[in-house]
Amino acid sequence: MDEPLLRIVELRKRYGQTKALDGVTFDVYPGELFGLLGPNGAGKTTLLSIVSCLLEPTSGEAWILGRKVSTRDRGLRRLIGIVPQELAVYGELTARENLSFFGSLYGLAGEKLHQRVEHVLAATGLSERASQRVATFSGGMKRRLNLGAALLHEPKLLLLDEPTTGVDPQSRNHIFEEVRRLAGTGVTIVYTSHYIEEVQSLCSRVGIIDHGHLIACDDLQTMLQKIDGVIRFRVPETSPQLEERLRQIPETHLNGHVGQAMELECRDVKGALMRLISVLNELHLELVSLETIEPNLERVFLHLTGHALRD
Amino acid sequence: MLLYNLARKDFRMLLRDPRAVVVLLVMPLIFIVVLGISLGEGFGQKPDDRLRISIVDMDVPYRQSEDQEEPLEWSKVVQQDLAQTAGIRVEVIGSLEEAEELVETSKRAAVLVMGPKFSENVTRSSFMVGGVNPLFRDGVDIRKLDARFLVDETQLTAASIIQQVGQVSLLRVVLPWMIGTAFENIAERMGPLARVLQSMFPNYNLTGKTWASLTRAEERSGDGAEIAVYQSEAGTGLLGRGAQRYQTLVPSYTVMFAYFLVLTVGWLFVAERRQGTLKRLRAAPLSRSEILLGKLIPCLALSVGQGLFLLLAGKLLFNMSWGSNPLWLLPIVLATSLSAMGLALLVATMARTEAQVAIYGTLLVLVLAGISGCLMGDRELMPDNMQQISLITPHAWALIAYKQLLANAGEVNVMIVAQACAVLTAFGVGFILLAWGFMRLDTQS
Repeated sequence: MDEPLLRIVELRKRYGQTKALDGVTFDVYPGELFGLLGPNGAGKTTLLSIVSCLLEPTSGEAWILGRKVSTRDRGLRRLIGIVPQELAVYGELTARENLSFFGSLYGLAGEKLHQRVEHVLAATGLSERASQRVATFSGGMKRRLNLGAALLHEPKLLLLDEPTTGVDPQSRNHIFEEVRRLAGTGVTIVYTSHYIEEVQSLCSRVGIIDHGHLIACDDLQTMLQKIDGVIRFRVPETSPQLEERLRQIPETHLNGHVGQAMELECRDVKGALMRLISVLNELHLELVSLETIEPNLERVFLHLTGHALRD
Repeated sequence: MLLYNLARKDFRMLLRDPRAVVVLLVMPLIFIVVLGISLGEGFGQKPDDRLRISIVDMDVPYRQSEDQEEPLEWSKVVQQDLAQTAGIRVEVIGSLEEAEELVETSKRAAVLVMGPKFSENVTRSSFMVGGVNPLFRDGVDIRKLDARFLVDETQLTAASIIQQVGQVSLLRVVLPWMIGTAFENIAERMGPLARVLQSMFPNYNLTGKTWASLTRAEERSGDGAEIAVYQSEAGTGLLGRGAQRYQTLVPSYTVMFAYFLVLTVGWLFVAERRQGTLKRLRAAPLSRSEILLGKLIPCLALSVGQGLFLLLAGKLLFNMSWGSNPLWLLPIVLATSLSAMGLALLVATMARTEAQVAIYGTLLVLVLAGISGCLMGDRELMPDNMQQISLITPHAWALIAYKQLLANAGEVNVMIVAQACAVLTAFGVGFILLAWGFMRLDTQS
């Protein structure tokens, strides 16, 4: 395996008595789209602030391409692009003026700056509104510009902090497309979100953080394989015979009754569903309702923490 | 280049912020116009209970003989005599027409007019045969000296007092001259008699031609009122263009609103923090000093522009004078802007929300304006001890400098202006260093 592009080692950050980060350790490899999932206040933004040279940790270290991250290392900042959770663009300036300004901060000038600005405007779908003040933009357009402002200097590591907060579906798709495109070009991306679906659909590897602790970090598939799916169904009348037959289905576990429904935990949801229908046919039982839940990050989080992500 | 980009961005944003234009340019003009119209003549002048003697001096200096080097200027002697009298202030009006208008409009109770032959007639005043004898029952018959009083018939009591003061002064000037020249003649013609007479009056110098010399008293050293040149205080038109009050109102509100930069810069900073762009700036390969300088430059430029704009508006709208040393206005504007910008940065780095900027910024600016005397329009209206206390504010130093240049009847003392500019610069540097310290804390949290 390659050397990690980003290495986080025993990172701790305290604000007074509050532990924002408590011994977080993980690696992110070149070209990886790494998802950092956790509820609000879990420590995601603090972690990104340290990695983006904005904040010194209380203890522990972060390394990017073998360079130790420090607030004093200005050169390292050229390798990083950050998309803050806030809409970090100037409403009084036009989209083009915003991008030109942020590009100039990274040493871009002249024709190169012009090319990069036009490229980013096109990539974020804002070319037609480039000369209009950002204050007149929708929330989604501002989000896209917020992403674009971090791409001008072609960073090696892109840090996205809740980049889709409060955006419309069209803008969200734009952002997803751009993130996937960037990942395809080899940019290493750390994507933090508390939206499980986003992380699950975008990221190949995921870290789950809660109360400053990294409670899991693995490939998405490996993580999902660790937990079972669920089949929840209702029949008009249950019987000991039905329960006995259900217990005989391999690689399943009958949780018993959940309200008026019965719940089966299973590794292979599709296979177990076929067997269930077969059993109900044999016993001449009608299916009143059926719900299947594939293994997902929501269940992983629930499994690991004992509470739902959005609690 | 980096600094230029940072500064250009902020400058562009400031210019696109209508609040900045309203607060920094429109509001002070409104204040000056409203106060300029509503405040009357005499605003900004300390109450003065000394008796004012107004004079029109049309006197032509006179030579007794062609070989006399220095011509005699008796009108100046009269002015000096009045000025050296305690409790009296002398005002010289530029023309007879102006004096007549002042009397007709009851702005002056009486004006002493000394005509072109005043010096000649005083010189020719004598007890001797062939001389002009101006003395009569009431004192000096001033018509014989080519002098007269313009009197406002509606203020006869006040006019009478002024006339009596004038009489006394003229007596003190004319009588010793007449006695002195008479005894010079006696000495020339009857030397022994003159010596006998002098020995009989040892307390008097009978050939002394001034009151002090005649009475063997010490000359007064100007401890009376100064001689001031009359200036019209009313101005013209609805705005009272050219009125003396604008010489203090315009600088006062120029200084006061220079510090309203606190609001503009505060809002700019808080917006940077609130919308996350400050985070983006700090994440860019910039040093903290570059970020700070990038903010300082446009703020300073805006403040200097504001100061120059208001002084120019003062000239064009209110016909105020830029004084005899207008170039010295530039360092005052620059130094005031530096201190205003420093204070603005300090407040901006401490405030967390736009509401905090609005409340604390406005409070601070108004309190400082009140302490310094800006709000009153003129520091001279404050008691002496309050004027001393006001020196803790940069505003007061700016006002001192402006006063010296714009509202000073005498010669401009550039040392006072330079000292005020130095203190303002020190205020500015101090504020910036404090802001730097607070900004350091900000990045560590």
